[in-house]
Amino acid sequence: MNSARVDLDATGFLLMTARTNTRTGIARYQQVYTVLSQALAAGNIAAGEALPSEPTLVRQYGVSRTTVRRALARLAAEGSIVRRRGSGTYAKRGLEKSGATRKVTRLLDDLRRVGSNTRSKLLAFERVATPDFLLREWPEFGEKALLIRRLRSVGDDPVVLATIYVPEELAPLLSPRRLGLDTVLVALDKLGHRAVTADQQTNAVAADPFSAEHLQCPVGSALLNVRQLARDAKGHILDFTNFVYRPDCYELHVQIERGNGRRARVAR
Amino acid sequence: MPMAPKSPARNARSRPRRLARRRQKTGVARYYQLYALLSNALNDGTIAPGSALPSEPELAARHRLSRTTVRRALGRLESENRIVRLRGSGTFARQAPAAAKLCLNLHTFYKDLPTIAARTSVSVLRFEPEALPAGARDLQSHLGEHAFVIQSLHKYHGTPYQISTAYVPESVGRQMRRNSLGSTSIITVLDRMGQKTVSSEHTMSAVAADDIASRALGVSLGAPLLRMRAVFIDSKGRTRALCESLSRPDHLNVRAELERVRARRAHSPWRLRARETVSAKR
Repeated sequence: MNSARVDLDATGFLLMTARTNTRTGIARYQQVYTVLSQALAAGNIAAGEALPSEPTLVRQYGVSRTTVRRALARLAAEGSIVRRRGSGTYAKRGLEKSGATRKVTRLLDDLRRVGSNTRSKLLAFERVATPDFLLREWPEFGEKALLIRRLRSVGDDPVVLATIYVPEELAPLLSPRRLGLDTVLVALDKLGHRAVTADQQTNAVAADPFSAEHLQCPVGSALLNVRQLARDAKGHILDFTNFVYRPDCYELHVQIERGNGRRARVAR
Repeated sequence: MPMAPKSPARNARSRPRRLARRRQKTGVARYYQLYALLSNALNDGTIAPGSALPSEPELAARHRLSRTTVRRALGRLESENRIVRLRGSGTFARQAPAAAKLCLNLHTFYKDLPTIAARTSVSVLRFEPEALPAGARDLQSHLGEHAFVIQSLHKYHGTPYQISTAYVPESVGRQMRRNSLGSTSIITVLDRMGQKTVSSEHTMSAVAADDIASRALGVSLGAPLLRMRAVFIDSKGRTRALCESLSRPDHLNVRAELERVRARRAHSPWRLRARETVSAKR
């Protein structure tokens, strides 16, 4: 979407510009910074390549020159661009991501298999009343649940924050030690409860302060959200997990075979 | 092991909700931080429709914010019609409006194409030959040096929910009619031209809306969007089309029903559920 030529006058609603907006609660310079740093990270502006000039950015984003300068100053401070007086602003060579932090692309993953330097930090492990949103959608979940919240990192990079609810009947089987580095589904599998079906919903969400703190990203930045309910062969619920991934560390990959759906499968 | 009964209030508190003391220079207003927290809780149902939000003093104390800041966050949710503030009684989560939300099912992707095309409208923004984007140069042997770009805006019930950019071989693009893309998906158009897609690979991620997407979709710059990239392959293994779409998360849901390839084996890989087994399992 980096090719910037759209006939903006062709359709009426496009005149209703959203543009940067101070009423969003996110400063304009922060908005410009987010979009530019994304373009740099994705390689849309390649290393060594010049960024658009300040006046161009002013027009493109409909912000003041001061705002553009503030966004660029922040990018320069973190070393993603270099500003040469009298010449312009250039993208710096990005730090090569180490093998371990390269994007993981599985449909239903066990991050543990990604590399030996995967870490898991347990943030919560406690019994709670099942939240209403689960009961509304799946009344069979039961009134009580085990809440597990954990943060997974690969190397120094936090990758995913998972909030897991396990039905009460299965809760006694699990303990922080039993869990270890395993995902809840892998741990339950070892205990004789195998997940055979899962229902996933995928979307983008804005980082709330809690996810932002753990995933080390700005509040409001785009995160990949996967909500998943797993069942065993008898149709009993094994867990519900809400994953929030950092999109620069994780992508979801699906291969679809056409036909009657029978041959549809997951790549890798 | 019996579980001690716990009140819902305790449950709500188990979620670490305290806003971390953040540096002031984050570029993110404090009211927005509280707004983001409450907004996500309302979205995922943690605060159920009809239930009460914590009181203003409670929110102020819990997050160490001023009353003014708390009011601003609540004011924004109210202006978005997501909460209702009843004088003397409290603040309540509204029943989510029957939002015009489109659902894309990956397990019935090809079967659903005609239905989705029929229920949505498309305006073609660009329809012209263009070099492949830098990220897709390795597909030049399939698509040719000069590809044909089709950029479209998709609407559901009149609201733009997705902007998509597709690349097809130039010779193929030249045979397409711009008008035909308004009511038919590109895949169906390719099918009719004898370029039948037999498989596709989809990659999903989240991105911040850039200037083009923010204007087209009516969201602010940097707002989160779901990005789907797809490569469509024909029976000879040739790539026939590349497509990148950006969708508003409040207007599109992507669902996938999965099953184990071999249910009896541990660590068996997952695949999209075949339709036949859906009814059997439920």
